[in-house]
Amino acid sequence: MFEAQEINAEHKDLIHDVAYDYYGERMATCSSDQYVKVWDQNSEGKWILTSSWKAHSGSVWKVTWAHPEFGQVLATCSFDRTAAVWEELVGETPCPAERGNRHWVRRTNLVDSRTSVTDVKFGPKTQGLQLATCSADGVIRIYEAPDVMNLSQWTLQHEVQCKLSCSCLSWNPSLSKNHPLMLAVGSDDTNPANGGKVFIYEYSDNIRRWMKTETINSITDPVHDISFSPNLGRSFHLLAVATKDVRIISLTPIPDNASLQSGLSKLEIQTSAQFDDHGCTVWRVCWNITGTILASSGDDGCVRMFKMNYINSWKPVAVLKGDGSHISSETQRSSISSAAGLPTPPVSQTARYIKLGTIAQSREVPWH
Amino acid sequence: MSAKLEIQWTPIPNKFITWGSEIGLYEIVSLRDGSIPTIKLSNTTGANLLSTNSTHHYVKCIDIYPKSDSDLLLAIGQGNGRVTLLTFGPSQFDSLSLPGKEFVPRHPRQCNAVAWNPIENNLIAAGLDKYRSDHSVLLWDIMKCPIAPDMNGTGKLVVNTMASGLELARPVAEFGISEMTHSLAWFKTNSKLISVGMNLKNIKLVDFRDPNKSVNSTLTKAVYGLCMNPHNDKHLASFIDNQVCVWDTRNFEKPIVTLSHGKPVIKIGWCPTRHNLLASLQRDSSVINLYDIQHTVVGTEEVEPSVLERVIVPGSPHNITSFSWHASDENRLLAIALSGSVTDYTVFDRITLNWAPNSNIVWTYGRRTMKCVNDNSSIYGTLQDISHRIKQRAVMGYGLKDEFWKNAELVDDEMVANVWKWLHLSNKLVEEGILRGYNSRHPGVRSVLKVDGNVNKSDVVSISWSELGNINCHSSARIYRHEDRDKALHLCGWHFERDANSLTKFLERLQREHAFSRAAAIAVFNLKIKLALEILNQASENFSQGASLNVVAMALAGFSDDKNSMWKQLCSTARAQLVDPYLRAMFAFLTAENYSYENVLNEEGMTVDDRVAFACMFLSDNKLHEYLKSLTNELIEEGNLDGFLLTGNSGDGIRLLQRYLDATGDIQTTAIIGVKVFPGEVFANSVKEWVISYRNLLDTWQLWNQRALFDIMFSSYRPSDKPPQQVYVSCNFCGKSISAYMQGLNRGRGPFSRMGGTANKLKMSSCPNCRKPLPRCAICLMHMGTTTGIPTNDDGDNRLAEFSHWFTWCQSCRHGGHASHMIHWFKEHSECPVTPCTCKCFSVDSLGNEVCT
Repeated sequence: MFEAQEINAEHKDLIHDVAYDYYGERMATCSSDQYVKVWDQNSEGKWILTSSWKAHSGSVWKVTWAHPEFGQVLATCSFDRTAAVWEELVGETPCPAERGNRHWVRRTNLVDSRTSVTDVKFGPKTQGLQLATCSADGVIRIYEAPDVMNLSQWTLQHEVQCKLSCSCLSWNPSLSKNHPLMLAVGSDDTNPANGGKVFIYEYSDNIRRWMKTETINSITDPVHDISFSPNLGRSFHLLAVATKDVRIISLTPIPDNASLQSGLSKLEIQTSAQFDDHGCTVWRVCWNITGTILASSGDDGCVRMFKMNYINSWKPVAVLKGDGSHISSETQRSSISSAAGLPTPPVSQTARYIKLGTIAQSREVPWH
Repeated sequence: MSAKLEIQWTPIPNKFITWGSEIGLYEIVSLRDGSIPTIKLSNTTGANLLSTNSTHHYVKCIDIYPKSDSDLLLAIGQGNGRVTLLTFGPSQFDSLSLPGKEFVPRHPRQCNAVAWNPIENNLIAAGLDKYRSDHSVLLWDIMKCPIAPDMNGTGKLVVNTMASGLELARPVAEFGISEMTHSLAWFKTNSKLISVGMNLKNIKLVDFRDPNKSVNSTLTKAVYGLCMNPHNDKHLASFIDNQVCVWDTRNFEKPIVTLSHGKPVIKIGWCPTRHNLLASLQRDSSVINLYDIQHTVVGTEEVEPSVLERVIVPGSPHNITSFSWHASDENRLLAIALSGSVTDYTVFDRITLNWAPNSNIVWTYGRRTMKCVNDNSSIYGTLQDISHRIKQRAVMGYGLKDEFWKNAELVDDEMVANVWKWLHLSNKLVEEGILRGYNSRHPGVRSVLKVDGNVNKSDVVSISWSELGNINCHSSARIYRHEDRDKALHLCGWHFERDANSLTKFLERLQREHAFSRAAAIAVFNLKIKLALEILNQASENFSQGASLNVVAMALAGFSDDKNSMWKQLCSTARAQLVDPYLRAMFAFLTAENYSYENVLNEEGMTVDDRVAFACMFLSDNKLHEYLKSLTNELIEEGNLDGFLLTGNSGDGIRLLQRYLDATGDIQTTAIIGVKVFPGEVFANSVKEWVISYRNLLDTWQLWNQRALFDIMFSSYRPSDKPPQQVYVSCNFCGKSISAYMQGLNRGRGPFSRMGGTANKLKMSSCPNCRKPLPRCAICLMHMGTTTGIPTNDDGDNRLAEFSHWFTWCQSCRHGGHASHMIHWFKEHSECPVTPCTCKCFSVDSLGNEVCT
């Protein structure tokens, strides 16, 4: 009944990231084998490898597409302490019907980081070409290409110290001009004593700086991935966090005078849902286009989906095994949703020192 | 029984051995076959014991002949230093008389390590404890041992192999005199080179062709568990106590990575299917640590590698004593616990995933494959996500219909459909002039009743029940009347006051829709109990699902408003058991005391229109206003679009829409209603936000036609926001606009009007201002404004030129021509048709990205 298409990724090592372009017609993958590959969908919907090149001299952690109005542009970041911006060029072919000899050219290499660059993301297109990177030594850098036609020139606009090692970042994709630019950064720092591991930064137009506005103190475990949901005109923002479980945080801007003055918004932060279904470390989270379903992957080797039924009411709706078989789409577990102030459930912390996470047998962990 | 249990995969992919006091050979079976294996290894696999061998009691180490493809040949290092070859039962090796062969050192002492050479398969290296005048690494050649000891086929070993007359095998090579060997490992690519951990103080790399001097060595205490990275001969790992060291043989002085553990390490092993993945096991623990060691080259020099640590729990309840990686199955390992239980475990690689805007979801599975589920998959049907529905509705043209009720037909959601129907109704009422002077096309009940303004005095009309033909009744029903209430009833669809016919028509319609209980309840609310009885009786006679309704009718027939009457008491208690909300409300109304109708008003199963209409009839002004206020707030809080009835297109309506959007994510309905219903400048801001979001959604789905139609609709509701002209044509020479002239032409004015109106199509091939010619088409070299020369099928009315006649040009090199010519040219060429220009105009477009297979 249900079948997943299989693609041979042809990477020689672990794939760290896969990214779709704006339309979902192209795909880019990056891997520990230091290669980046670009895939295109043919008319039958099959994915065809169209480019593959050695992009870095270390593991490539993340790959991301720019908005198509800037051309076919990718950004990558790597353990080799650099981030790079790539543009696709069409080579010399006499006949376009034989699919032009396309290749990707490195337009710039951003070498400011002294440690591994752990994430890279293009900003909302309303901001022109902006690029945010974060690195293992806890520095967030915002770059900008002042001339969108010239991708080889990037200026480092802002450098923000985060204190803790950063593992992931996400721009708030909201197209609204009613609130300032917003970035969320997650840290994989393992020491719970260092406090919250998710930080919200906002850009103040008045002082022209990025300011840390919030720390989400309810998350003290290492964070592996973070993702703002598409906003679609909602009055609040949703942030999914992959840590030892799946969290959905809602951020509601509260209008007040102080925020008008500073140009930063005051946010009411609420844990909208918390799911321990993976029973172990969660690695990635991503949203569907309307921000109504969240998909997550964890060390149990499953992809799980959670659907929003109402404000702050989320339910697990599907479990896909890593090999593509569909376990269930029924809601066998009770919905774990919370209104304001759900007491954080007891943390079933294992007494092990965990640097990047624990993998357990894939088993159902009951919710307390 | 020995406390230490070891486990190892054999070169045969589905077999493994365990050894402690005895050696056991097992075969993996899949549980899916329905077979019941002796031991269960995981949810999907089990194992059957094939054979055991308990002839050797002091097994210290085992290595399996690497070429064992059907039969296994084991080399066993024993406590007395002997290395014995062993098979399970008869095998292909019998002909070589290998099984039972023994290699005996000159002086007995414990054998610590045994290893087959991975390339020259007839060589075994054995590492022994220290003996004063003897070597501790002995290299044996299995083919050069002359005689096998007598096995007699019974497994009984000849005890005295040292007996005279038995010629002892001589080692091919030996080294490490009066040294102690803890572990050894062959290089995978160089059959002559072996690494040996010695004397608790150094690791030596020895070429056994010249065994007396080591090729390379390092001073370290980490001499245990030497193992070679299967993918890279340069890296080897070893451990001591709490530390695991990874060495690079090219730079052997210091370990490149040192991994500290909390407890003493007892085993390490490289994963054969992954690059640079090292597993380690600590004493008294039930977890295995994995280290992904990433080597990075910055510039030309190799920087310190990064290590990603993971901890896996194979799920064994006891402490693990050993593990073994599977040679070919990705990331599969077996772990054996103190209790002897074996676990088959596959380490899941980290899954990364992403969700495309078109609902494709992709994730990685293992290292090399990706799995992809597209939006046609059945899983999306079961998810019933709003994104899917929005897309389907958009394709059907939802929201683009001018008539509100047509939009209702395109949605499967009842609440949304009701909103469209109500919008249609309110719009009609305003157009018909029934609702006048509200400065709005969709006034809500609250603005009609002026709830927020002064309280109007409504007239009270008492209608005696007995006059209506209910003989048992003495009191009367109290109905409030006011012209504003009439209007509100119109908005609720209850415009029966003036015209008895309309009530019967309405009820007939409900009966056709099989909503009998609702029809009956509405009849009762309009004090037509006889009518209600008829409805219920008809329903029970003609329709199977109405069968129970005649009982209701019976109860209704006994209506009496005597406070103490049996009927009233019974009905009040039985009411709670009724399932149908309308029947409940009906009896609640009839049994109500002191004109308090809470049970009707708060009946959630009734539609909002009916509740509001009921309130408009039976509640006094103060109570009505209070009720409407609280109901409005409740509905807004819920994001229930039925609340539109109350709010209309006021500020509350915007709040309601926002709340609906927050709750459902249905940006489509929100944006469309926002555009169509909230034209005021006051709301322009939030509506614009929604419109931007919805347009962006249509763009990512590449529904450009729908996007354009939506834009057209948007600008028709917002004439002031008309998008600016996007294309201008101006003369190359004088810079004056040509498009302005062309527009003038169409209207029959301007300098060329005299030419218009003729049967000939207008040809304008020069600038109307300076008379210089317009640019030429690069293909046909004709000036712009001339025809393409390709005959067209004239349909008579050619107000818009066909696309092929249009002039198009490259945004990059500015060359161009007739669209049809250009398309034709680029079918066969990638470069611009203008001779010196090398612009790849067609490929600059991302449309050229379509892949040919």
